[in-house]
Amino acid sequence: MWEKIKKGIEVRTGLGELIKKKQHEYQVPKDTNIFYTLGIIALVAYMIQAVTGYFLLIYYIPHSDHAFRSIQDIMNTVPFGWLIRMVHIVVSSLMVIIILLHLISLFIMGSYKKPRELTWLAGGCLLLVVLMFCLSGYLLPWSQRSYWATTIATNMPTAFPVIGDFIAKGLRGGDYISGITLTRFFAIHVAFLPPLFLLLIGLHVFLVTRIGLSTPAFSKSAEDEKPWTEYRPVSHTNSYPFYPHFVLKEAFMITAFLAVTFFLISFMPTLFIPEAANTPADPFKTPAHIKPEWYFLAPYQMLKLIPNKFFGITLQLILVVILLLWPFFDTKKERNILKRPVLLSVFLLLLAMWIILTVWGRIS
Amino acid sequence: MRYPIFLAGLIILIILALAFSTMAGFREVFEKEFLSKPWEVQLSEESACIGCHTSDIMRSEFQEIPQEWRKSWHYQNNVSCHDCHGGDREDATMSMSHQRGFVGTPKYTEVPDFCGKCHIGILKNYLKSGHGMAAATSKKGPNCVTCHGSHNIQKANIDIINERLCTQCHSYERAKIMKQALFVTENQIKDVDKGLVYLQSKGLYIENEKKELFRTQAEFHTLFHAIDVQLVQDSTDEFTKRLNILEGEIKDTFDEIDFRQNFSAFLMLVFAGLGITIFLYSKTYMD
Amino acid sequence: MKRRSFLSLSLAILGSTALATLVYPLVRFLAPPEAKTLADKLSIKKDDILPGEAKKIQFGNTPAIVINIYGKGYIALSQVCTHLGCLVEYDKEKKQLVCPCHAGVFNLEGHVVSGPPPKPLPTLPLKVEGEHIIIG
Repeated sequence: MWEKIKKGIEVRTGLGELIKKKQHEYQVPKDTNIFYTLGIIALVAYMIQAVTGYFLLIYYIPHSDHAFRSIQDIMNTVPFGWLIRMVHIVVSSLMVIIILLHLISLFIMGSYKKPRELTWLAGGCLLLVVLMFCLSGYLLPWSQRSYWATTIATNMPTAFPVIGDFIAKGLRGGDYISGITLTRFFAIHVAFLPPLFLLLIGLHVFLVTRIGLSTPAFSKSAEDEKPWTEYRPVSHTNSYPFYPHFVLKEAFMITAFLAVTFFLISFMPTLFIPEAANTPADPFKTPAHIKPEWYFLAPYQMLKLIPNKFFGITLQLILVVILLLWPFFDTKKERNILKRPVLLSVFLLLLAMWIILTVWGRIS
Repeated sequence: MRYPIFLAGLIILIILALAFSTMAGFREVFEKEFLSKPWEVQLSEESACIGCHTSDIMRSEFQEIPQEWRKSWHYQNNVSCHDCHGGDREDATMSMSHQRGFVGTPKYTEVPDFCGKCHIGILKNYLKSGHGMAAATSKKGPNCVTCHGSHNIQKANIDIINERLCTQCHSYERAKIMKQALFVTENQIKDVDKGLVYLQSKGLYIENEKKELFRTQAEFHTLFHAIDVQLVQDSTDEFTKRLNILEGEIKDTFDEIDFRQNFSAFLMLVFAGLGITIFLYSKTYMD
Repeated sequence: MKRRSFLSLSLAILGSTALATLVYPLVRFLAPPEAKTLADKLSIKKDDILPGEAKKIQFGNTPAIVINIYGKGYIALSQVCTHLGCLVEYDKEKKQLVCPCHAGVFNLEGHVVSGPPPKPLPTLPLKVEGEHIIIG
């Protein structure tokens, strides 16, 4: 009976043949490591965020008088509302960590080089979109931390000479954070950014599957050395089919990710909820130690250190542009980073500086 | 591109040059806006009184007052000099002006009204009490400062009733009886407070419960100032009932926290087990 | 092959446990809340409160006060001071609500006149129906 149904669908959609081609015949190099799965974990994290976000949308009220109370209701009154909200909070921070690890491992493995520059660019833009998600998202609870951290963040564009004020006012909907800002950020978070994200991720995944997974640069069976003058899918000499080998690797990493998420929810529930995040917003009272979320601590600390604020912001913008367009700057064909000590040391130095700035921003 | 690092450096230099050239007069305006309060967080500025009262031109007993005040519960709650003594908060030249309501050091007999400006309920009970009536008639009975001090005022607690303070006028016996009458309720209040602090550390928002505890504690302390042991004993049941309700709510919340932790720990274990199974399963394909 | 089929079985069991443990909260989350009982309303007689007088009531968990303001009608306010939670007292002569703990003063509409309270007193919904005042 089951066979008849399957045959019926197959004749009408050709689904089985498509799956076979994509899953079974798609080849994956044999020495891929777990870092290759970080991309799919980031995508799963996004889907978790979308689902929990939709559920939270049912009870959340995006008005400055009711926002905080509606979140408390979700935490205390709605059955299992606490679980949905905690998952949303924990996964948002974990998602940023996963994306950063993905970025670092790609950089070290040189997987951004020709013909994969566009994939890297799309991925860089995705990182920026995710950070915008995070920024717009954490105003929504309308807590002390939300209000004041967003005040700092929306003050930063004022660094630009002519258009700065205009940008800041446009973001805030006025001269200071108010209910208008809340509804703007809510619209950005819920309606404007998701289609943008899906567009970019569609492009990103299309490029990854179309070109094929890269062989690790350290392995013996490096990719073809022939120049990329025409499109050709990557061919792997030592490989196994995507299904079931790589799919199982991905599934394992996804369950590990979920286990970590629930570990944090059970045993460290206040890791991402400092006290200021659990106090309703008070526009007249600035808390003593207000800080942005951890992923913004490095740029925040850098701006505090550089005496000239305009220089600070411009420097950061330049760094972001260089990051996005890096594959076009670095066109050497050598993918093994161990053979390029200058690049490796510069990269490790920048990474160490980012970590130091983040920790410094946290403790100061 | 042959020397990408150089190209990047050149681009940076060009942008910087442009930046510096356009920036000339802009800096002051920018720094004023950008470095304004929300960015550079300033705690509330201190009263104008503090400036003079900490300087060396003051007599030492006046000089010590700000540091005494900084150890107090008033300081922790942003109650500063002008809130009690009047005068202008910001303008040092008017900080002792009678036009701004400055009253200076209250005389011994004026102290109850001085503190009763804010602590209305307590003043009412104090005036009816043995302490208040003694102070009114003999001008020597105890006033607020006798037990609570003047600038280093700490949060009210049961150990203010002690031998040193109470034997200034009479034997400690009757003070001991009062202390015993207060003891049980005070302890219960302390326990409920500990429970609420714990809940807050777990990330719960407990404003309503905190307000209810404060209300109960404030009413109990106000009652005490009538210095009537029978009254305290008669009211203890009612306070115990109210505190029992609070304790019940706290216990329910503890149970809820435990349930949440168990539920998410269960999910964690299920996913960990799933991960291990998938790993073993994938190994069966590695041939 | 025996190992693989055993592992498939455990995968199926663990997988469905995970799915059930995730679906159950979602279903409870989406289920409509129970209808609030209408006993949340409180009714008192108009004649109990003369003009200029006030009456203390208990509205659910909140102590509240109903005032008959001269020339303006009835208003129901929460008695819980927005500073730290003490119960405010009605001062008939001064037409104010005063908190005995730290002298927070509210006018008869609940707005802060002086003192430490950060926010006005919440008003409770009030309707006058014939001889009764319905709160809630």
